[in-house]
Amino acid sequence: MSNFLYLFRGGDARRIHQSPEEMQEHMQKWGAWMGGLKEQDILVDGLPLNNEGKVVEKAGAVISDGPFAEGAEVVGGYLIVKANDLNHAVEISKGCPIFEHEGNVEVREIMPIM
Amino acid sequence: MQDNKEQVKDSPNAVVDHFFRHEYGKVVSYLTKKFGTSYIEQIEDAVQEALYKAMNNWAFNPVPDNPSGWIVRVANNYLIDTLRRDKKIQPKDEETLYMNMESSEDNPANVVLDDELQDGQLKMMFACCHPTLSPDSQIMLTLKLLAGFSNKEVAKSLLKKEEAVAKALTRAKQKMKEEVGSIDVPASGELKDRLESVLKVIYLLFNEGYSATTGEQVIKKDICFEAIRLCKMLAENKYFNAPSVNALMALMCFHASRFDAREDENGDIITLENQDRTIWNQQLIQLGFYYLTKASDNEDEVSDYHIQAGIAYNHCIAPTFEQTNWENILNLYNLQVATNLSPVIALNRLVALSKVKGAKQALTELQNLEDHKYLQEYHLLYAIKAELLVEVGDITNAKQAFEKAKSLTSNLKEVIHINKRLQSLKR
Repeated sequence: MSNFLYLFRGGDARRIHQSPEEMQEHMQKWGAWMGGLKEQDILVDGLPLNNEGKVVEKAGAVISDGPFAEGAEVVGGYLIVKANDLNHAVEISKGCPIFEHEGNVEVREIMPIM
Repeated sequence: MQDNKEQVKDSPNAVVDHFFRHEYGKVVSYLTKKFGTSYIEQIEDAVQEALYKAMNNWAFNPVPDNPSGWIVRVANNYLIDTLRRDKKIQPKDEETLYMNMESSEDNPANVVLDDELQDGQLKMMFACCHPTLSPDSQIMLTLKLLAGFSNKEVAKSLLKKEEAVAKALTRAKQKMKEEVGSIDVPASGELKDRLESVLKVIYLLFNEGYSATTGEQVIKKDICFEAIRLCKMLAENKYFNAPSVNALMALMCFHASRFDAREDENGDIITLENQDRTIWNQQLIQLGFYYLTKASDNEDEVSDYHIQAGIAYNHCIAPTFEQTNWENILNLYNLQVATNLSPVIALNRLVALSKVKGAKQALTELQNLEDHKYLQEYHLLYAIKAELLVEVGDITNAKQAFEKAKSLTSNLKEVIHINKRLQSLKR
């Protein structure tokens, strides 16, 4: 078992113009999916990220609004889950409701502390 | 919507059905009450934004104890930011208008009471149904601003094109800004008239949802329950609790009780005669009866809704179709025809008449209606005529009338129903 990081990119509902009813349905799908992960005891951590942010470069010499101009690139949140290996982690991610909003999930193994 | 009521309290699935949709209407109304209709677009954007934030947050984090209060504050503050950016408010006002996200409990000014939200919605109802707005605009604005429907959902439920709805709503909102300004409860002098136009919109909304047109059934049922929800708000308010409000509530409850019995598993129409009465919703019938009793408190006021509710009530309490008290129903129709000139009501009356006095007399009276210019192209006239002809045994003419009815309706469900009837006559 290792820990894997899911980075959620895109899938910003603002661009899809969801109705309040659709938003609630979508939220409840997330709730159900994460509830399932919790039940299987493989959910380690996870939080959403605010849209606004700054990118700091050259020790603060360059600070730009960001993270990115392209909405599709914005990381909207992350999760850490336990899985056997990368393939298993990918398999688990397939149930994520973000795909309904044309977003994607980047799956990365977290390096164990040696 | 799939529902898992056993979810823990703070999971997003614990949020009640239609919470977001209703919250949209509540908060838009509240903020419009606070800032006026001139910022209606900014207000709608702010509420939409607050709901996005809620959606993203609550999927991960526990839902706050007072989710409604959370949305009010987030939307309010987003709106202030927008107005400040557009230089619509003075910097000195900002501070008082901001709502503190953290210490709402300690700061009473931050707590928006349910009463206030209710009050905003009632005022918004009168604004959406303002007499200067066209009936079409009134309905669309009510669905959009109070029921929290998106343009797409408004279009779906009214069988219109989405672009047409978007355009019409933009115009309607413009008119609202010009004519309505700040939203308010009408003064007692004009209350009766203004209330009447609100009730009319609620009634039209309900009918829109209840009519057996093709299309998305789920959303149609939703509008019916929205109409009931809005009417209930009026009924629960002392100032608006008029007999006609209660009568309309009763009428809608009685009709809604038959929702599940009106269609078979294919979604085809089941007429009153053939409905399984055991699946009529008794709770709604009881509720309807409660409102009907309240509607009769003041015997001087008998609205059209009273009569319609009375007719619906008689259907609801009949154990079988045959045991329906048609005489009562006919009396109510006679009363209604005397005050309401609608030819459709005169036509519906004939169904009751045929049960009391026979199909032959009903057919004779139908002749007077056939030339009516509103009914000439009305498919139900021919459907009723056909059924009456079947009863008197004139199958040839009955078939002809069914064919005519079929040619006049574009509603697929009705076509299917008529075809079934035609089939049964062949045997």
